[in-house]
Amino acid sequence: MAVAAKAFQLWRTRIAPQDTVTEVCRTAGIKRSTLAQQLVRGKVAVSTVVAIARGYGLPVVDALAEFNGFEDLPAGVSPPTDAELLSQVSHIDILRLLVARSDDTESAWTDEELGLAPFPHTGSVRAWIEAIDPGDLRQQLASTTGVARQNLSAQLTAGRLAPWIAVEAGRIAEVSLASGLVVTGLLTPEEGGWPENARAEALHSVPDLELVILARDRLDVLGKQLRRTELDDRRDRALWENLG
Amino acid sequence: MITDVLHWAALVLCAVATLLRLPGALRGRGRTMCGVLLLLTFAVALSIEPLYDAVDGMLGGVNAANLLLRLILYAVLALLGVRVAAAFESPLVRRLIAGPFGLAVLALTIASTLYFFLASELPGSSVGLNDFLDQATVQEYAAVGRLYPGYVAACLVLPTARSVIDGRARTIHRTAGGLLAGGSLLVVVFVVLRLTGLDLMTWNVILPFSAILLMVFGLFLIWLSHARSRRRAARTTGLA
Repeated sequence: MAVAAKAFQLWRTRIAPQDTVTEVCRTAGIKRSTLAQQLVRGKVAVSTVVAIARGYGLPVVDALAEFNGFEDLPAGVSPPTDAELLSQVSHIDILRLLVARSDDTESAWTDEELGLAPFPHTGSVRAWIEAIDPGDLRQQLASTTGVARQNLSAQLTAGRLAPWIAVEAGRIAEVSLASGLVVTGLLTPEEGGWPENARAEALHSVPDLELVILARDRLDVLGKQLRRTELDDRRDRALWENLG
Repeated sequence: MITDVLHWAALVLCAVATLLRLPGALRGRGRTMCGVLLLLTFAVALSIEPLYDAVDGMLGGVNAANLLLRLILYAVLALLGVRVAAAFESPLVRRLIAGPFGLAVLALTIASTLYFFLASELPGSSVGLNDFLDQATVQEYAAVGRLYPGYVAACLVLPTARSVIDGRARTIHRTAGGLLAGGSLLVVVFVVLRLTGLDLMTWNVILPFSAILLMVFGLFLIWLSHARSRRRAARTTGLA
């Protein structure tokens, strides 16, 4: 899903009336052929709009609001919830904090001091969806967007989510509408209104009991992943050893 | 014309697949499968007239080469069947082929093949025994010769086809599974059509040799994926 080429052209001539398409592409750091192709197809990728807005120093969220389906984005931006923040902390970082607390050596207060792995990473989108899920998020997403559930699952497994679906997930779960765009990597945390060190602060405010439960849940997920991987490996080996 | 192309294409593909596995087999890797492909290459060669005549001439010109071809085919099917069943993790099919019932079918096939061969009058080399098809025993001999391949192929269709719809498997393995399933299915279709008594004409060649092409190419894909995985550094842990 992308924005209509016509709306894009209107927006482009408004923000950069003097510039040719070539100049716009140079300012945004995108290939001219890529944009030309998108214009021919009548759909311009959201990432193109983001790149151009960045290139011209415009607030990215406001720029997106010019387009169909994203109008309510600026009004819908709010600070991320603790659950959202924690979903973007890797299991290794959570375990490290658990160990630090057990040793009574928890001290650092910034992401960097805690050594938190940068995000988004491959598991970011799925972890975020699970963190904001009021119970039937996937069904509701499927019915409001008209995208089949298998298709949604496939996107999550691949660590992707189309921008308009990510925003819709925010609407349904009543969280910041920019969060979905942050965890899919379209917006930087700053652009999406995620404060610096918010993850570290959220981690620090988690009571011991909840930290332990969080670590357990993460290990549970990790265990399931590993079991699946091992099953796949066993199948591959069966094929290779017998027929390779 | 098309039958000649298919014959030679199958021979070249089998020979190439065998040669590809030869270096590994000499180092002790995948010896059985290399042997299976070598036997299959030999069997395909014996289906081609000039090659058949040459080999049969050396064996005395009484069509012993055709008997040899049959027995080689049974060996190929038995070994391949067991390996494919194990590779696609189907213990039931493995039992159906290597269990008491499968072995009984194999023994019965070999015994009847020998009997009908000895009971026929076969003076002079003739590929496929085409000059002697008016003899009832030669027709029985040919029918029995399709029985065991048909049985093994029927066993292999489901486990290999199942791998195609396994969305978590590698694409190359799903493709290979599809090719093996397609090949097995063609063999089954061929054997069943022959039972109906229809005159298949060129399909007598097209069906079985397309099956060989599909299966050998499927085996090649699995070999390729194995070779590529060996070249990549072995990952020791899933945690990193």
